[in-house]
Amino acid sequence: MKRVAALLFIAALAVLLLYVVSRMPPMGDPETPTATHVIPRYLEKAEEETHTVNVITGVILNYRGYDTMGEVTVIFCALAAVLAVLGRERRGVIHGFVDRSEVPSSTIVRTMVRFIVPFIILFSVYTILHGETSPGGGFQGGAIIGGSMIIFTTIFGLYESSRRIPLKVRAPLEGAAVMGFFLVGTLGLVGGGNFLTYAWPRVAQDLHPSLVVWLTVLVEVGIGLGGAMVLTSILFAMIREEEEIATVS
Amino acid sequence: MRLFHNYHYAAAMLLFCLGLHTVIVRRNIIKKLIGLNIMETSVFFFYISLGYLDGGIAPIRVGGADPARMVNPIPQALILTGIVVAVSVTALALSMVILLYRQYGTLDVDRLMREEEPEAVESGKED
Repeated sequence: MKRVAALLFIAALAVLLLYVVSRMPPMGDPETPTATHVIPRYLEKAEEETHTVNVITGVILNYRGYDTMGEVTVIFCALAAVLAVLGRERRGVIHGFVDRSEVPSSTIVRTMVRFIVPFIILFSVYTILHGETSPGGGFQGGAIIGGSMIIFTTIFGLYESSRRIPLKVRAPLEGAAVMGFFLVGTLGLVGGGNFLTYAWPRVAQDLHPSLVVWLTVLVEVGIGLGGAMVLTSILFAMIREEEEIATVS
Repeated sequence: MRLFHNYHYAAAMLLFCLGLHTVIVRRNIIKKLIGLNIMETSVFFFYISLGYLDGGIAPIRVGGADPARMVNPIPQALILTGIVVAVSVTALALSMVILLYRQYGTLDVDRLMREEEPEAVESGKED
């Protein structure tokens, strides 16, 4: 009965949504409202105003810089909430189900992971540093590092991977994204501009373009490092098993 | 007909309904969360499709690329924010699910709603 009611509700919603889709402007048309108005101006002026070749990076870090600052604060708060719920690991008593497993992972898998993880991290560094000239950026690179840590932890166990990135390295770097934004924003204030304008009108008018690029890269590196460490810490908090729970199972 | 021309939008709407169905019908909390993620993904897909342009190129100004042919950068920038927020929400929800499972030994919503006495962790059978 409940399932039938849910199905009917979903079907009604689907019909309504598909009706709206059939009345929307055609997809891919340059004349639609989403492709006109402010968009051509962004595409025309982004390079000279933000000094980034990639318009998306210019929009994220410069035009909508406050928005992205709120976003990195959101992911930092998510980490704080996860740690408040699950607790941070203590040194020496850290292990997950992989460490406790009777069956060791196969030699082929271990060798392959050991071989491929450095290359994944190298690729993520490339993604972070080339964020303003090619597809990529801080969030993507940080997510790639987080993915490599997931691979490593599921194969080698939590004890090994938490020895590679110990708590005293992770803890200061988790706030790197938020700190990067506030550092660059405050540098803009000190230089005579506004918060997060990436400009120093009082100090450096002639080297302005390269300064903007350097500040953008600084923010990108902060986002990449912070995102990677936040994802790693969330992974460790989730995969960690409490001592007393482990004895029951 | 417009509906078939806008098939990206239609697919996003159907994906949204699929996710909502999963959230409503499934009793396992983790499956509900998967449904929520499917809904989020459908919204991202819809937004990115809104920025699509016939014969468009990536909005990266290298090699004398013509700005008039570039796709809309705003949905892509917005969805980058959306993905991060979705990851944060999922991480927090999953951590609470872990705590619930440790406390009650079940992920079944109906059993959790009856507020049973906390029982020992057993190898639970879901759904």
